[in-house]
Amino acid sequence: MSVLPWCVAAWLFAVGIYGVVTSRHYVHLVGCLSVCQSATYVLLLAVGFHWNAGPPIFYDHPPGTPAVDPVVQALVLTDIVIGATVTALLLAIVVQVQKLSGSVDPQRLRPLRPNA
Amino acid sequence: MRARWRAAGLAVSTVALLPAAWSVIVAMPSFGEHVSPYGAAVNAVVPAARHVSNMVAAVNFDLRGLDTLGEESMLLCAVTGTVVLLRGARGEETSGSAIRLPGRAIAQRSDATILICRFAATLLFFFGVYVALHGLVTPGGGFQGGVVIASALLLLYLGEGYAHWRSIVRGRVLSVLEGAGALLFVLVGLIPLAFGKAAFQNILPLGTFRDLYAGGTMVVVNAAVACAVAGGFTLILLEFMEETRAPETETEPGEGG
Amino acid sequence: MTDPASLLPLAVLLPLGAAAALLMLSHWLPPRSADLAATIVSLLLALFCGWLAWRGLNQPLIHWFAGWTPASAGRPDVRLGISFVADAPSAAVSALYALLFAASFVFSWGYFDKVHAHFQVLMLLFLAAMIGFCMTRDLFNLFVWFELMSIAAFALTAYPLRESSLEGALNFIVTNTIASFSMLMGIGILYARTGTLDFALMAQALAGHGGALAAGGFCLLAFALLTKAAIVPFHFWLSDAHAVAPSPVSVIFSGAMVSAGCFGLFKIVIGIFPLDRAVIAFVHDGLPWFGIVTAILGGLTAWAQRHLKRLLAFSTIAHLGIVLVGVATLTPEGEAGMLLYIGGHGLIKGALFMIAGILLARFNSCDEIALYGRGRALWPAGLAMGVGALLLANAPVGLLYRAGDVIDNALGWRAESIAAVLSSALTGGALLRAAARIFLGCSGAPGPERSAPTEREREKSDRPLWLMLLPCCLLLVLALLPANLLEPFLRRAARNLLTASNMHPAVMNGAPPDALTPSAFLTPGLAVALALLSILRLRPVGRFARFAARLETLPFRVLHILHSGLVTDYVMWMALGLSAIAMVFYLR
Repeated sequence: MSVLPWCVAAWLFAVGIYGVVTSRHYVHLVGCLSVCQSATYVLLLAVGFHWNAGPPIFYDHPPGTPAVDPVVQALVLTDIVIGATVTALLLAIVVQVQKLSGSVDPQRLRPLRPNA
Repeated sequence: MRARWRAAGLAVSTVALLPAAWSVIVAMPSFGEHVSPYGAAVNAVVPAARHVSNMVAAVNFDLRGLDTLGEESMLLCAVTGTVVLLRGARGEETSGSAIRLPGRAIAQRSDATILICRFAATLLFFFGVYVALHGLVTPGGGFQGGVVIASALLLLYLGEGYAHWRSIVRGRVLSVLEGAGALLFVLVGLIPLAFGKAAFQNILPLGTFRDLYAGGTMVVVNAAVACAVAGGFTLILLEFMEETRAPETETEPGEGG
Repeated sequence: MTDPASLLPLAVLLPLGAAAALLMLSHWLPPRSADLAATIVSLLLALFCGWLAWRGLNQPLIHWFAGWTPASAGRPDVRLGISFVADAPSAAVSALYALLFAASFVFSWGYFDKVHAHFQVLMLLFLAAMIGFCMTRDLFNLFVWFELMSIAAFALTAYPLRESSLEGALNFIVTNTIASFSMLMGIGILYARTGTLDFALMAQALAGHGGALAAGGFCLLAFALLTKAAIVPFHFWLSDAHAVAPSPVSVIFSGAMVSAGCFGLFKIVIGIFPLDRAVIAFVHDGLPWFGIVTAILGGLTAWAQRHLKRLLAFSTIAHLGIVLVGVATLTPEGEAGMLLYIGGHGLIKGALFMIAGILLARFNSCDEIALYGRGRALWPAGLAMGVGALLLANAPVGLLYRAGDVIDNALGWRAESIAAVLSSALTGGALLRAAARIFLGCSGAPGPERSAPTEREREKSDRPLWLMLLPCCLLLVLALLPANLLEPFLRRAARNLLTASNMHPAVMNGAPPDALTPSAFLTPGLAVALALLSILRLRPVGRFARFAARLETLPFRVLHILHSGLVTDYVMWMALGLSAIAMVFYLR
C-alpha cells in the first residue's frame, strides 16, 4: 500500500510514453502527453500527503492543526498552467499542419522531406 | 522505421528500466508517513508572518512569487505563440459566417439555451470573481478565478451567437488585459527594489487574518494573476473559435459596385 | 557604490517587464520601436551581467526574493525563499547570452512585421528565461525558467508558419516536453529525499549517502538537461528544429540554448550532488563517453548534409559533445575550458547562422548544391563563412582553439582527443566545402550529401546587406580575441565555484595522465584536406569507382535513415538512452 502512489506515477508515465510512440494521430499524442503530466501530479501530491492531516487552509481550523504540505500543491498548480499552455500551443500547430499538409499522422510527417 | 521495431525498442528500454525504477520506488518514503520540513515550516511560520490562511496561495504569491511570475510569462508566451500561429495564417480580418460542412444540418439555438446561458454566464462570471477575490482566505485564487471567468465568457458564445459574442469580447482588450496583469506583477517585484528592499518584498500593510484584505502585496499579485489568466485563456479560446469561421467570399472583378 | 546584490533581480525583471510592456503597447507604438527597445534592453543586460561577473568573482552576489532569508524559517534545515546567486561563471554566461540576443536583434531588424511586436516579446521572454536559468539556486525555479525557455523556443520555431517549420516545431515540442516532465519527476523524487528545494541544503542532505533516490533524481534531471543539450541519443530534435526556425532564432538556439543545457547540468552537479559519490563517479567516468559519441556522430552526420542550416545544426551537436566532456572533467581548468568553449562556439555558430540567413534572404535557398557559384557577388559573406569554418576546425587562433586544448588536457583521454580532432575536422571541412561551392563556384561531384533532406524556402529579402553582415562580423571578431584575455578570469571563477561547492579535492585537482595533444595545425589541415577532396572529386564512372562510391555512401545512408524525422522514433531513442543511464547507475 505504501508504494502504490509511486507505482501509479511510474505506470502513468510509461503508458503515456507508449501512447506517444505508437500514436497515429497528433491529437491523440497530445492526450498522451497529458497522461505523462498526470504522472508528475500524482508523484508530487503523494509526496506531500500525510495521514490525518487536513488541507493547508487555516480558515476554519486554527493555524497549528496538522496540515499537508502546501509547497507541492503550489508546484502542481504552476504545472497545471504550464501543461495547459503547452497543450494550447501544440493544438494550434496541429490545426495548422492539418490545413497545410492534410495529415496529422505522427508516423507520416517529416520536416524537410517529401511526405511519404 | 517500422512500427514493430519501434515497439521492440520501447520494450527493451522498459525492461532495462524496471530494476532501476523498482529500486527508486522502494526507496521512496512510505506514503503518508513522511513530513517534509519545508511544508511544515511554511504551515508554522506563514500564518503569523503574513496574516493569510490559504498557505498554497501564500506559497504561490509570496514565498515563491518568482515561480509564479515565470509561469505568467509562460502563459504570455503560449498565448502570443497561439495568436501568431492561428492569426498569422488566417489574417487579421474577422468574418461573420461560420464554416458550413456539406450535409450537416444547422440547428437554431433554442430560447431555453439562450436564457439558461445568460443566467449561467452571469452567475459563473461572478463566481469566478468571488473565487479570485477570496483566494487568500479560502481555496482558490487568481488562477482558478481567472479560468472560471474565461469559461463564463465562453458560455456567452453558446447563448448569444458568434457575432454578438465578438462584439462583447474583443481581442485587443484581452491582450491589453493580459499584458497589464503581467506588467503589474513585474512592478510588484520592481518597486521594493527602488526602496532598497528585496524584490517582491511585501511592503504593503498586512491586513487582518481571515479578512478579504490580507497579505499585503499578495492581494495585488492575486488580482494581477487573475487578470492575466482570464485575458490569456479567453484570447486562446477566441483564436481557436476564429478557426471555425469561413473566409469572406471574394467578389469577382466587375461584379458589385 | 550601489550594492550589486540588491540589483540582481533586475537581470530577469527588466526583460520580463519590457516584454509585458511591448505586448500591451504594441498597437500604439511607432513602427521600428520594438526592434530598438529589444536591442537596447539586451545590450543593457549584457553590460549589467558583465559587471555582475566582475563583482561576483571572489564573493558571489546573493539575493533572496521577497525577503525570505535563510534565517526567517527559524530552523537551519529549511530555507523558505528562492535565491539568485550571481557567481562569476553564471553571470559571465548570462552576459554572453545577452550579447548574442543583441546581435540577433540587430540582424533581424526589419525582418518581422511592423504592426505587432510578437517576435520581440517572445525573444525577450526567452532571454529572461536564460538569465534566470543561469542565476537561480532553487531547483523548481530552475525548472520554471527551463520551461519558459522551452515554450518561447517552441513558439519561435513555428513562427514562419511553413509546413516544415510546423512539423519541425512538433518534433521539438514533443521531445522537449517529455524531457521537462521527467525533470519534474526528478524534482519530486529529490524533494521526497531531501525535504527542500534549495541547492545548498540539498547538497548537505545528500552528503555521502544519497542512495537510490539521489541516483534516480539525477538520472531524470540529467535526461532532461541532456535532451536540451542535444547529446546522443537525445539529440534528434535539434536538426529538425534549427533547420526550420527563422535564422535570427537559430542563432540563439545554437549559440545559447543548447549550451545552456550543458551549463545547467554543470550547475546541478556542483550545486546539488557534489558530495554524492555515485553521481560524481558517473559524471567523471561515464559522461565523457556520451560526449565522445556525440562529437563523432555529429561530425559524421554534418559531413553528409547539403542544407546549410541542417549542417550547422549537426555541427552544433558535435561541438556540444566536447562541451559535455568539459563539464565532466570537474576540475577548475576543465570547467574554465568548458566556459570558454561555450563562449567561442556560441559566437562562431551565431555568425555562421547569420550567413545562412543572408543566403536565404538573397537567394531563397541555403542548399549548397542548389547555390553553386551564385554567391560570388556576396564575397564578404563568403569570407566570413570561411573564417568561421576555419575557427570551428580549430585553427590555432581565438577562443575556441584554446578552449578545446584546455579541455583535452584537463581530461587526458586519448579517445576524447581523437574524437575532438575528427569531429572538428569533419564539421570544419563540411563548412569549407559548402563555402567553396557557394562563394567560389567550385563544383565537385556530390557525395553522401546528395541524398540529404533539403527544401527551398525564403526569408524577408529587403534588408540591407551591411545591416545583416555587421553583427556577424562583430561576433567573429569577438571569437578571434586571444584567449588569455579571458582564461585567467574564468579559471579563477571556476576554482572559486568548485571550492565553494565542497567538491572533493581528489576529484577537483585530479592530475590527468599524459595526454595526447595533437599539433596545432592537424585539425584545420585535416579539414582543408577533406574539403579539397570533396570539391576535386570526380563523378565515379568506372566499375570500381562506382562500387567505392556506393560503399562510402552506405554508413551515411544509415545515419540519414536514423534521423528519420518521425517524432515517434525520437521518443523511442530517448527512452533507450534513459534506460542506458539508469542501467549504468543500477549496476554500479
